[in-house]
Amino acid sequence: MKIEPLVQMTSISKSFGGVAALDDVDFQLLPGSVHALMGENGAGKSTLMKILAGVVQPDDGMIRKAGRTVRFASPREALDAGISTVFQEHSLLANLSIAENMCLGKEPLTVLGSVDVAVMEQNARNTLRGLGLNLDPATLVGNLSIAERQFVEIAHGISANADVIILDEPSAALNAADVEILNAQILSLKQQEKAVVYISHRMEEIFKICDTITVLKDGRNVDTVPVAAITPKRLIAMMVGRELAELFPPRPPRREGEVVLSIEGLRLTPDSAPCSIVLRRGEIVALAGLEGQGQRELVRSLVGRYAAHEGRVRIGSRELALPLPEDHGIRILQALGVSFVPEDRKLEGLFLELSLAHNLTIGLHSQHFELAPAGRHRDVIANSIKSLSIKAATPYTPVGTLSGGNQQKVLLGRYLALGADILLIEEPTRGVDVGAKAEIYKLLRAYANAGGSVVVLSRETLELIGLCDRLYVIHDKHVVAEMPAEQATEHAILEAALHR
Amino acid sequence: MSKVGQIFFRANSRHGLWTIPLLVAICCCAGLAAATADFVSRQNVLNLFAQAAPLILVSIGQMIVILVKGLDLSVGSVVSLTTGILSLNAPVYVTVPAAMLMAAVVGLLNGVAVTRFRVHPIIATLSIMGITQGAAMFVRPSAGGTVASEIVALVSGQLFGIYMPVIWTIVAILFGWKIVHASRFGLHLFAIGGGETAGTFGIAERRNVLAAYVLSSCFAAAAGIFLAGRIASGDPNIGTQYAVDSITAVALGGTQLAGGIGSLHGTLIGCGLLSLIANGMNLLNVSAFIQTVVKGAILLLVIALQPRKNIGL
Amino acid sequence: MTSRSSLFRAALRIPPSCIVFVVLLVTLWVLRPNMMNPAILGTFARQVVPLGIVVLGQLLVISSRSIDLSAGGIILLVNYLISSGLLYSWPLLPIVLLCLGVGLAVGLVNGLLVGKRRASAVIVTLAINIVLIGLVEYLANGKPPGDVPAEFHALYNLRFWTIPAPVMFWIALAGIMSAFLGVSVFGRFVWSIGSNPTSAHFSGVPVERTVVIAHVISGLMSAVAALVQTSSIAVGSVRFGPELVMNSIAATILGGVVFGRPAEVWGPFVGVLCFALLFVVMTTMGVQEPGKLIVQGLIILLAAIFYGLRSKSN
Repeated sequence: MKIEPLVQMTSISKSFGGVAALDDVDFQLLPGSVHALMGENGAGKSTLMKILAGVVQPDDGMIRKAGRTVRFASPREALDAGISTVFQEHSLLANLSIAENMCLGKEPLTVLGSVDVAVMEQNARNTLRGLGLNLDPATLVGNLSIAERQFVEIAHGISANADVIILDEPSAALNAADVEILNAQILSLKQQEKAVVYISHRMEEIFKICDTITVLKDGRNVDTVPVAAITPKRLIAMMVGRELAELFPPRPPRREGEVVLSIEGLRLTPDSAPCSIVLRRGEIVALAGLEGQGQRELVRSLVGRYAAHEGRVRIGSRELALPLPEDHGIRILQALGVSFVPEDRKLEGLFLELSLAHNLTIGLHSQHFELAPAGRHRDVIANSIKSLSIKAATPYTPVGTLSGGNQQKVLLGRYLALGADILLIEEPTRGVDVGAKAEIYKLLRAYANAGGSVVVLSRETLELIGLCDRLYVIHDKHVVAEMPAEQATEHAILEAALHR
Repeated sequence: MSKVGQIFFRANSRHGLWTIPLLVAICCCAGLAAATADFVSRQNVLNLFAQAAPLILVSIGQMIVILVKGLDLSVGSVVSLTTGILSLNAPVYVTVPAAMLMAAVVGLLNGVAVTRFRVHPIIATLSIMGITQGAAMFVRPSAGGTVASEIVALVSGQLFGIYMPVIWTIVAILFGWKIVHASRFGLHLFAIGGGETAGTFGIAERRNVLAAYVLSSCFAAAAGIFLAGRIASGDPNIGTQYAVDSITAVALGGTQLAGGIGSLHGTLIGCGLLSLIANGMNLLNVSAFIQTVVKGAILLLVIALQPRKNIGL
Repeated sequence: MTSRSSLFRAALRIPPSCIVFVVLLVTLWVLRPNMMNPAILGTFARQVVPLGIVVLGQLLVISSRSIDLSAGGIILLVNYLISSGLLYSWPLLPIVLLCLGVGLAVGLVNGLLVGKRRASAVIVTLAINIVLIGLVEYLANGKPPGDVPAEFHALYNLRFWTIPAPVMFWIALAGIMSAFLGVSVFGRFVWSIGSNPTSAHFSGVPVERTVVIAHVISGLMSAVAALVQTSSIAVGSVRFGPELVMNSIAATILGGVVFGRPAEVWGPFVGVLCFALLFVVMTTMGVQEPGKLIVQGLIILLAAIFYGLRSKSN
């Protein structure tokens, strides 16, 4: 007998700003199954699940829930249709109690019309007990540990009485004992004939609790297979295997330059393992790894935007103790010849309504005292526009009107104009087209060849392999492997990152 | 930290740090009782209630708005305009509904400007404050007029042997408690103030914020009715101090101006402390102007102790 | 459709103050054609010079996403210092310097609390304002305000050709501020913070320090405005301030400077001129004090809604 699927997604396509995130993807969920969704960073897993959860609307394609065609305009509608999601990002409200968070939007009322705290807390307690948790439902979420918060988040998702439950990296913050509890809970959901989508980077768990695996790559289906028919090795092989495009400039022969920046004994949190990183003159070093493993925090802790637990940074002859002050860590590093290029160019990088010229020269202005005359830096602006081949009508065009690629080049140009010896770059090519990507890679390589050093982190592993000289693989807030880029493969990096 | 210490310092951190102002208030009481015999006299306690009642009313409304990351600078002008409307030559059953209607409209304007047009709450309520103040001065250019005797009786008489200001205070507290701590709406106020994600729980953010501004104005109008009954006339400037006083009282009671953290009892303690200080300085014959200075200094101190993440407004 | 919407966008880029100014000028011309001569208009403009000078500081703080409500208190304090007779034997220059020092000091306290301590700017400057007002009222209590030294008044009434000296001074000060913002590093910092504080931080802009300096300049401008205001009256007074602060915010917003937009001097400058005309038009139309308050409130609200709509359309 053929089982009727609970959810049937057909030919789903979605693109963001001209870049396709999903292209003609099919996905189906059977009742009473745990379905793993696998793929590298940016393969489209999160987008697909956000579409199912009503957070994002698809450009094309059809969703059928229990045989009926549905269209979710909001997470609320998806929830009402029985699709509940536990996302990676924390959505719980820190100033409410566990019980209040779990009942928010559908609070039980007393006859007098006030919120029935007793019923609410009893419900929450029951749900938590079901998960094997002994938390007081009256505790404020803000007072919970990260793992406890994660559990409440899961309990919240499950308590919604949904028949489809999406778990996006639920185990990332849990320790082994907690993972056991979670797995038991997932199995019991399965017995209740519910469908669970499980996104995780922990191989072991996938093979332990999942029935089916769907692999996505570059926003397309690779395959859907039963877990019993596949080995971890084959799974990784399915996830990787993209072609290294001809985007990357040639890598000069390796030479051992002097060390310009070294990080020693860095511990991001009190309980994370210490790690050390070295950057030499003229090389591009990547921090690779799966998303959210601490690469970002590592780089940001160098400029004071993340308070690392402890560590020392040596830049040239200066030694700094971490954490650096949040409000002027950037300036301290700039004074030492280190520039930080933030990831989100719209929110953290550019001044969209201000001119190209302002955006390029503001870094230079920052090096001066307030009362100093603001140099026009005509030569800098002209040089930058020329050497970065920024396409803009005049230097006075507002940056917000330029294309993504040109905006990214302006951002890079600002920090290159500072004449820094070291660049720390997050996501150098986020949301830019292929042509601009190639140009940015060329610029970074030229910068390194001229004696600069670069630390780069990116979600795109291939980009890191093609661009860099050396890679550090980060997992669980510390370095788990180091490899020269010419020997690195997606496979090797993924294996190192998934290593447990 | 010991268990007792924990209960005392962060009994429930959503309610803000109200224990310290409570201690200060108790110390103030003890000090004043020791310093002047008048402090514990029946007349003075009654005065204290009469001073505190309108402040409590305005502050409860102010707190509701502050919980949803807002601020209402227009409350003072609503108080003034209410006394103006009540002092018009018309029967009570016309003036009181008219005043409440006016307050609802003012709150609605504030709320619509903030939620629909995304005007910063300070700018929105500042401009509405100007408009309402202008209306107040138009209705009653200078203090005067007579307020209906029913309203005067409602404020100065007794009911079952209890003085009316005390009854007003109790009713205000019960009403405020119901709204903030014992209703779905109140919980949603905390949720909206607590983070960006309240919408994902299915809470209608705009509608609740709008309601918060309307409530704030209505509470201010109630304070206006009380004051009009007390002075038995209208005064276009009587409310001026309440914008700053209510913000001070709310902040003093541990409510965070960033939203999402606060409590009714904290606000009551803040109002009580502020009234106590004013009352004490009166008893000790401190100049009214120095009292203003002290009030400002307290506000400054409280605000400086509430540092935030963002610089600016 | 596209041409219409681009026209709409172009219209949105002109500061509303310019449009309002033209409308008011035409209204006045229709109502009272005989008033349209330089001498009379100069006198109107002279009345708003203190406001105009306060606005020069206000636009800096508003553009840096802060606000300054303490101008009233500073003006009152400076007015008291000059007219109380305390400094009667002092020569002019030290008096002026002392007053400017008071403005600087208050601005610095505001700036440190807002920028370094990260306290809410509205509350801080409001509290400082009531402290200053209470202080002055306490000091002046019982004593009638004294005379303002005659030199001040003489300066105020001076005219070059037909233009009153205070107006010239204001234009010069606005020119200096505009040039300062245009050529100094500080100007770039203020623009950057106005556009995006996070981007400013990541560009290396010292955000905290810039906010502090903006408040210091704003305090200084209030003191300068106080000197002009004091010169305009022969005897001291304790009755002005609050409406001036309201108007300074209104003129700034009307001039196209709102939270999160780059500082610009001439839009708010025209905004202040709008107020000069508005007072005249309202007076000729017989609008009383309440009407004026209502109109001011409406102007702030409509200008703010205008920008709210614009940020939504982008």
